[in-house]
Amino acid sequence: MKFQIPIGPQHPALKEPISLRMTVEGEVIKDADLRLGYNHRGVEKLAESKSWIQNIYLTERICGICSHSHATCFVQGAEKLLEIEAPRRGVYLRYLVSELERVHSHLLWLGVAGHEAGFDSFFMYTWRDREVVMDILEMISGNRVHYAINTLGGVRRDLDEAQKAKILDGLKILKARSEYYLKIGAGEPTFVGRLAGVGMLSRQQAMDLCTVGPVARASGIARDVRKDDPHAFYDEVEFDVATADTCDVLGRAVVRIKELFESYKIIEFVIRNLPDGPIAVKAPRRAKPGEVVSRYEAPRGENIHYIKSNGSDKPERLKVRAPTLANYAATIEMLRHGFIADIPLIFAAIDPCICCAERTAELVDARTGEERIVRFADLRRLAASRQAHSNKRNVAWPL
Amino acid sequence: MTDAEKIDKAKALLGGRLIESANPALRRVFLTVAPADLRASLEALKTGLDQWFLATITGVDAGDVYEVLYHFGDTAGSITVRTSIPKAAPHLPSICAVIPGAILYERELQDMFGIVVDDIPDPRNLLMPDGWPEGNFPLRKDWTYERPKEIIPGGKA
Repeated sequence: MKFQIPIGPQHPALKEPISLRMTVEGEVIKDADLRLGYNHRGVEKLAESKSWIQNIYLTERICGICSHSHATCFVQGAEKLLEIEAPRRGVYLRYLVSELERVHSHLLWLGVAGHEAGFDSFFMYTWRDREVVMDILEMISGNRVHYAINTLGGVRRDLDEAQKAKILDGLKILKARSEYYLKIGAGEPTFVGRLAGVGMLSRQQAMDLCTVGPVARASGIARDVRKDDPHAFYDEVEFDVATADTCDVLGRAVVRIKELFESYKIIEFVIRNLPDGPIAVKAPRRAKPGEVVSRYEAPRGENIHYIKSNGSDKPERLKVRAPTLANYAATIEMLRHGFIADIPLIFAAIDPCICCAERTAELVDARTGEERIVRFADLRRLAASRQAHSNKRNVAWPL
Repeated sequence: MTDAEKIDKAKALLGGRLIESANPALRRVFLTVAPADLRASLEALKTGLDQWFLATITGVDAGDVYEVLYHFGDTAGSITVRTSIPKAAPHLPSICAVIPGAILYERELQDMFGIVVDDIPDPRNLLMPDGWPEGNFPLRKDWTYERPKEIIPGGKA
C-alpha cells in the first residue's frame, strides 16, 4: 500500500519553509512532489517601483547566505545599462568578496552535510573554521551577512595593506583545514559509506533537467559561468572547474571541497595583483533604454538576472532566477527510489536556499480510506460545521 | 564559438523561422521566432547548436504583447530566444517535450502573467497559494497590490 508523507512546510529537517510530499511504499520513496511559495515576497514586482540604487539593497536581501551573489549579478547588469564601468580596483574588490562568500557558503554546506549524515563533529569543525572567513568578510565590509559592498560603478569600501596581510593569514589556516576536509570527505570510510550512492542523478538526467552548479558538476557536466562567460578578471586568473562523475551526494561534497581550493587560488591572485586607483565612479541616475542578461556563478550555481530599462530611474522589469529553483526538478529525480532516511541528506545536497507555498492538506477518511485534497478554506468550514453540530459546544474548557 | 558563428549557425538551422537576430553585447545573442515555430526552433537549436541548458524563461509585459524570453547558456556565452504573444489571446506552446527542465519556469509564467501554456504537463500553481483569487496576475503592469484589511479573530469589529 502506498502512503503519502508530508515533509514541511515546517519540519525539523528543513531550515526554510518548503513542502515536500513523498509517496512511499514501505521505506522506499516512489514519487515526490514539491510545493513552493511559502516564502514568496514579490521581489520582482517590488523592484519595478524602486530606483536603480535602491534595487541593490533589495536584491541583496533575496538571500541570506549568498546575498552578495544577487547584488553583484544585478549591479553588473545595471552598470551596462547605465553605461558605466567600474574601475579595476573596484572590480577586484567586488569579486574578492564573491570568492570569500563562496568559501563561507561551501564551508556552511559541508557542516550541514556532516550534520545530516550524522557526523556532528565534522559540522562543528567546519563551522568553527567558517568563522575565519566570516571574520575576514566582517573586516572588509563591516557586516557578516549583508556585506553591502556593491554600489553602481564600483564598491563602497577599500582595502589596506594590513587587511591584505590578515586575509593571507586567514587563507593559510583555511587551506590547511580544507585539506583535512578533503581527506575526510573523500576518504573517511563511514562518511563515504553514508554519502556514496545516495541521491543518484545521471549525467543525462542532469542535462535534461537543466541543473546548475555543484549538482551539475558532480554529474560530470563541467559548466561554470566564470569559465564559460568570464566576467571581470576571471579570464586572467587560472583556476579549474571542479567536477566529479559519481553522480551522488558524495560527488557533490567532493566538488564543493575542491571548489574551496580554487577559490583560495583566486583570492590569492586578487590580493597579490590588486591594482591601484579609485574604487568607484559616479553613476548617473537614469539608464538608457535597453535590456541585459546578467549571469553570475553563485556558490549554488548559475544565477541569472534579466534587466530591462525604459529610460527612467527605475527598471522596467527585473527577472531573477536563483540557482536553487533550477535544481528543484532534479531533486525529485534524486529522491525517487531513495529511502525516507535519505530525504534530509538528498535535499540538503542541492544546498537549498528556499523562497517557496501550499495551502492544501490531504485528508484520509477514517471509515472509507478515501483520500482527498482539500483547500485550507474548506477545512476551516468543515471544522466550523463539526463544531456547530457538536454536543460539546457549550462545555467550558477547564483552563 | 564566436557570436557571429553562432548567429550564422542559427540562421542555417532555423531558416525562414528566424525573424530577427541581434548581438547587442559580447557573448549575448538574441534570436526572435514566432510562437507557432517555438518548439521546432528550440528543438533545432538543441540538436544543432547544443543548446540543452535552459537557464530560465522571462516574461515581460510590453504593452499590447507579452514578450517571452528563453535564456540558454552554453560554454561560450548565452543565447536568448524571444517570442511575443498578443495580450488578447495569451497562448504559448509548452516546450517541456524538448526541454523537460522548463516545467517550473512555465508554471511560474502561468502564475505571474496568466499566460496559458498549452500542453503543459503539470498546470498547478507554483508560487501562488491555492486560494489565490482567479484573474490576478501580479507581474502584469496593470495589476496593483492592495493589502487586505486585517481582521483580528475575536477582536473588536
